[in-house]
Amino acid sequence: MADEIIHFVEIIIGVFLVAVFGMIFGLLTKGIDRKLAAHMQWRVGPPVIQPFLDVKKLFCKENVVPRNAVAWLYNVAPIVCLTSVIAILLYIPMGSIPPILKGYGDVILILYLLTIPSLAMVAGGFASGSPFATVGAQREMVLMMSYEFPLATTIIALGWKISTLYPGEAAFSLTTFTKYPVWNIMGPFGIIGAIILLVVMILVTTGEITKVPFDIAEAETEIAEGVFVEYSGRNLGLFYLADAVKTVVMASLIVALFFPYNLSTYLGSSIHLPSIAWNAIDFLFYLLKLEIVIFFSMTFIRVSVARFKVDQVVKVYWGYLTLAALIALVLIALDILL
Amino acid sequence: MMINEVWKLLFKKPKTNKFPAKYAPKNVHQFLRRVQGGKAKIVPPVPTPPDFRGKIRYDIDSCVGCGLCAQVCPSKAIEIVRDKKWIIMHCKEGAKLAAPLKIKIYVSRCVFCAQCVDICPRKCLKMSDEFLLANENKLDKSLIVPGP
Amino acid sequence: MSETYTIPVGPLHPALHEPITLKLEVSGEKIIGVDVFCSQVHRGIEWIGMNRNNPIQSIYLSERVCGICNICHPLCMVQAVEKAAEIEVPERAEYIRTIAAELERIHSHLLWAGVAAHEIGFDTVFHYTWALRENVMDLIEYLTGNRVTKAIMMFGGVRRDIKENGAKKLREGMKFYLEKFRKIEEIFLQDPTIKMRTRDVGILTREDALKLCAVGPTTRASGVPKDVRQDFPYAAYGDYEVKAITPDIYNGEVHGDVYDRIVVRLLEVKQSIEIINWALDNMPSGPLLAEKNLVRLKMKLKKAEGEGIGRVEAPRGEDIHYVRLKAGEEPFFSWKIRAPTYNNVLPWIPMLLGGQIADVPIVAASTDPCMSCLNRVTVVDVEKKKEFQITKEYMHKLSVKKTRRLMRNGR
Repeated sequence: MADEIIHFVEIIIGVFLVAVFGMIFGLLTKGIDRKLAAHMQWRVGPPVIQPFLDVKKLFCKENVVPRNAVAWLYNVAPIVCLTSVIAILLYIPMGSIPPILKGYGDVILILYLLTIPSLAMVAGGFASGSPFATVGAQREMVLMMSYEFPLATTIIALGWKISTLYPGEAAFSLTTFTKYPVWNIMGPFGIIGAIILLVVMILVTTGEITKVPFDIAEAETEIAEGVFVEYSGRNLGLFYLADAVKTVVMASLIVALFFPYNLSTYLGSSIHLPSIAWNAIDFLFYLLKLEIVIFFSMTFIRVSVARFKVDQVVKVYWGYLTLAALIALVLIALDILL
Repeated sequence: MMINEVWKLLFKKPKTNKFPAKYAPKNVHQFLRRVQGGKAKIVPPVPTPPDFRGKIRYDIDSCVGCGLCAQVCPSKAIEIVRDKKWIIMHCKEGAKLAAPLKIKIYVSRCVFCAQCVDICPRKCLKMSDEFLLANENKLDKSLIVPGP
Repeated sequence: MSETYTIPVGPLHPALHEPITLKLEVSGEKIIGVDVFCSQVHRGIEWIGMNRNNPIQSIYLSERVCGICNICHPLCMVQAVEKAAEIEVPERAEYIRTIAAELERIHSHLLWAGVAAHEIGFDTVFHYTWALRENVMDLIEYLTGNRVTKAIMMFGGVRRDIKENGAKKLREGMKFYLEKFRKIEEIFLQDPTIKMRTRDVGILTREDALKLCAVGPTTRASGVPKDVRQDFPYAAYGDYEVKAITPDIYNGEVHGDVYDRIVVRLLEVKQSIEIINWALDNMPSGPLLAEKNLVRLKMKLKKAEGEGIGRVEAPRGEDIHYVRLKAGEEPFFSWKIRAPTYNNVLPWIPMLLGGQIADVPIVAASTDPCMSCLNRVTVVDVEKKKEFQITKEYMHKLSVKKTRRLMRNGR
């Protein structure tokens, strides 16, 4: 009984720490992204701590609820968005620190949880009572339906490979992915398939966090910020934080699936340090990996291309990326047979 | 293609001229005080070319008060006033002591077209290259030429 | 689901830079009905010109009709007054006016290119193009004293001269732009995402362009070779023989869509660079003003009588000013401006039908609207407590009445 209470208290403290880490690192990542994007556009950008100042400003401003809006849904949607995104972060390992809720959920649960923040944005958009927000919410629904298929195909392909090689382990658990990194267990066909899946995942991430070219839900020039057009003050601050944490979540997912390497496993035998220090070093290495993934999926793509239209987005996701994911699936199946 | 360009631009120096400071200061009055005390520096703006049309300069002694500038100013920024210095003026009936007509220019209304400069027969108006003229008070002392 | 709902775009919207209202009827994302309510920006410029100002003040007033077109509006008005008062302009002044107008055209097209890129979400090209535009602004500042509101027009000539230093800087600037032109062309015309957004979007057929009297690059992109510099040359263009630019010069086919408008505008930038180089080489020496003494000029305009029309090819199309002077009165007796955007707003209706909401900003931006140049009026009848929009039939009736009145008084 005492064990369970201690375990419970540990989980609560872990949740709090993870939430704080997610928000702080998410905002820092956003700041670095803006600074790098500005230099790529030949100008000096805002200071790196700018998103913190933005959130501080947003929480001081007045919260306006329009008269046509469905008030309870309008106010609940940002809170649901932020809490569900933090909940996903609890299932992903960070460096060599295991996930807080280890053993309670696996990648399939993460897939399901990933739909909730987008649904909260859609609900908030429809509850705003403005034609721009309605159009934005419709587009977000279309976007959501489009990127689910490549995402699911990726995870199934990788899980299938691991489960055929090691039938005893829980196939979709993230600790299994950490123990058997993808690149070590694949033959040549598999490696080509895994590279294709990596590119597909990076493009799905850009759509998931709604950045150019897939930011049709919040197109600034076309529908004046779409889903968020009526939000202000504290609600908008919560959406902003949720967006920051979602970036961290998606990048962590890619890192946990494709690059779960830790420095401690390779250098732990040659350099002797207490295990807390190795945890810290692994954590910093994990942050570096996150930064690199976010650079390629968010910053680099954001500054290089223009925004797509709705039908072009659907064509890219349901057409090209699904085709690429299926080809990768076939390649991995070939790899399993050989 | 833009994708190739952005890699090159990432390593180039930004084209922005960082006037007055690289990032916006948190408190502008404090920043200005620190600059006056010598603890911080203002990055200079891009230099203005010669013949730049900035704040107007007025030579009050050569003005004869013909009023042509007030007629052609598009925004009616020039007002004809009587000078406080009485001088001796010669006219048909002999020498008389009178207050001559001079002008008063409201810079907050000026559109910097320099038409008054062109039409003045005595050439007593000139455009300087001052352009940092922002002020909270439209009738501030710095915005009325000549001084009080 | 065949229910439609209405989305208002404007008067204030991030896609538009000046107030105009578009009411779109959409079903899903497809647009099936468009209604345009023009301009909510009436500032009484013509009234001031007719009631309070003497002509020299009106030059600066006409400069402020639009923030980007501040050579073409004063040039147009000055040409109209010169025709009315019969003032001859010396040749050197004509060449300087040409150079200034072409510099303004380069500036305006580069600004437009950046804005169009911003409308489709491509901020990097926006910043890059505007960074290149800084060079032409520095040139303009060196030659005229200010970056916008250039103020070098005067009745009978120009106010400033281009000396040795100025000519040298101009040539360097033009060389810089000629080198960078390849890069701009590559960024805009060969980028796959821009092509995806602009090819076959907002098509204006040749018949529609002729029927709706579109002007400027909007109509040249549909294959109609209309250009005031070619058809009715003014200033120094008569010596150069400008040819109107249509997109088949670039790649041989004419679609009439947004992509073609980008092609036309970029090619016009190149043409402007060539015109400026030619004008610098062939500039004659001579006086700058027909009448140097401004007081005498003012008196002459006060005594003049007559009417004149000035036509200029602004970066957006054809600009017309009509001026009528009456002897003994300083303000104009009548002054009417018809800006190019006036003709280019109605083609939005055939361009937008059948498109998506996402196309609205880029199609609207591709005609380069400058709403400050338009003005119409909503009349509110306070006694009867009714308000009505002035429709075409009402205006036609009013204009027929006024013509009859003017003909009676003019005689």
